[in-house]
Amino acid sequence: MRWPRFGPAMLLGFYIIVGWQNPVSAQQFSGLIQVNIVHGGDHTPWLDKGTGILAYQDNAVHLQQGVLRVADRLSSSFSYDVSANLYQLGEQRLGISQATIHYKPLSHRQVRFKSRAGFFYPRLSLENVDLGWLSPYTYTQSAINSWVGEELRIAGIEGSLFSSGRSRRSPLTWEVTAGAFKGNDTLGTVLSWRGFAMHDRQSLHNDRVVFANYPTVVDPNGIFHPSYVEPFHELDSRVGYYLGAHLNYYHSSKVRYYFYDNQANPNVVNSQRLYAWRTKFHSLALSHDVTPNGRFIAQWLTGSSHMGQRFVYINFDAYYVMYSHKVGSHRFSARYDDFNVGEDDIFPDDPNNSDGQAVTFAWRYTIDKNWQVGLEQHFNRNSADIRSTLGEQQRQNQQQTLAVAQYRWR
Amino acid sequence: MTRFIFFLLLIMANSVSYAGNIAVTLLDNQQKPLVNAVVYLLPKTASVEPVENMAIMDQVDTQFYPHILAVQRNTQVSFPNSDSIQHHVYSFSSAKVFELELYKGLRADPLLFDNLGVVEMGCNVHDWMLGYIYVVDTPYFKKSGSAGEVTINVPDGEYTLNAWHPRISDSPESFQMMLSVKGDTQIKMSVPSALLPDVNAFEDSADEFGEYE
Repeated sequence: MRWPRFGPAMLLGFYIIVGWQNPVSAQQFSGLIQVNIVHGGDHTPWLDKGTGILAYQDNAVHLQQGVLRVADRLSSSFSYDVSANLYQLGEQRLGISQATIHYKPLSHRQVRFKSRAGFFYPRLSLENVDLGWLSPYTYTQSAINSWVGEELRIAGIEGSLFSSGRSRRSPLTWEVTAGAFKGNDTLGTVLSWRGFAMHDRQSLHNDRVVFANYPTVVDPNGIFHPSYVEPFHELDSRVGYYLGAHLNYYHSSKVRYYFYDNQANPNVVNSQRLYAWRTKFHSLALSHDVTPNGRFIAQWLTGSSHMGQRFVYINFDAYYVMYSHKVGSHRFSARYDDFNVGEDDIFPDDPNNSDGQAVTFAWRYTIDKNWQVGLEQHFNRNSADIRSTLGEQQRQNQQQTLAVAQYRWR
Repeated sequence: MTRFIFFLLLIMANSVSYAGNIAVTLLDNQQKPLVNAVVYLLPKTASVEPVENMAIMDQVDTQFYPHILAVQRNTQVSFPNSDSIQHHVYSFSSAKVFELELYKGLRADPLLFDNLGVVEMGCNVHDWMLGYIYVVDTPYFKKSGSAGEVTINVPDGEYTLNAWHPRISDSPESFQMMLSVKGDTQIKMSVPSALLPDVNAFEDSADEFGEYE
């Protein structure tokens, strides 16, 4: 287990600075704790150096999520928010998952400007819309956003032009956004070797994501890469960028398109033998309220990643479709995921093809403003050619049952 | 006893002759009822007494509540926050320029609305929020009901009848009506021009998960 080098200290320091600058303090503290009972499968998760793509193997009680978010306004135009997470699983157990300063000046114009800087997600997901970038629909997130949560975060700035439809007497609200960032050079490492996985663990600021000791990966005579990645390193001093566009129809329909390119130099390698991976992708997400209580959500992700002189080159493609329905305090959600990684590189001995399909059913019952309980059943069938290098069956069927109690405050 | 009855009748007769219920039906240019509009009667001659009223513009489910608040000039308006999240309310309207940080559990001081006209408010946290405070120089005002109807009780006298709603593109002065009130009166008032587009669906419940982006 890795404890953070500066995660809590950074949070505390940030808090002290902010509190000092804003003596009439009204920081908003919000957070949640999720504890689960799991009935898992036989496959060892990547978190324990196995090749399974689900987070749990033990039939036991776990701390599933611990999130603390602090937010406040610094002035009329500036605000901040910081999210810290506590996990039972993974290498780093406590740390920062997002820390952002927002600049949004008041304006009477119909087209306005806002920006933010810090460590954050591009807003490409319409699934991860709850506190701490969690999903309010299922506990096990889609393959797309499970990957985004573990490998993608930017340390950079984002600027947006936006126009509220209401101020123009139009049902359409739009936003165009662009971001520039450093770090995130290793994006694509886990996806190339392990493939997509399905979970809710977000990597923390200084985190390390491990995977199985694939012989072709760790062999000094092969690719010679450690069986882990530290996702938010800057290796090549290049600036990555992303472009996005949002369009909403009232509150009921939303579409988001993003193009992301980390602009990494795939031939750069650091002293840990972590490579910069040139990764770029398109993401298209939509959400539509078919009734006041029924919501359809979908996302499609397609892109590529490569490292070295085409030592590894993958094309990846994934989508999910979800329907979520609310009945009183009960929310029922069902999601289908399909994901695929296909290789086209010069090392056939390092097979990178993987694919899978999954269905996830969740029921979440909000008892009061603090307590929520839920059940989730997940099934998937997935295949990864690289398992054969460990003598495992390429194809695996996995399933997982979660019973979750959540306490939330704000 | 006869004197007393005579005196009582005299008082009743006087009170009937000095006040009237003005029943207004407000219609758009398609002759459909205009709901939630501010209808007000400005006395032509009598001066309006200064008031020390209080009114409330609340924040409920990330919307202004009420969406339209009519107040008499010099009313203090309080801005509570019934949501469990922060709001940052602002206005650039010439009738009242202000911004207010509305924290959960902290009550902001009321604001004095001492200039006439429309105060259009937004929230810098929730861009879809839009609300109006309409400041009038009369105690005789009400908002129209679902059939566009309003009944206002006023003393007899000379008035101008006005109406305002954010969808009305005409100025209130351009279609105001002169009234000479003597007892109860029924009036139909029509807005001359087509209404601005209806985007009231933004008032429908906002996305319950939209606050963390």
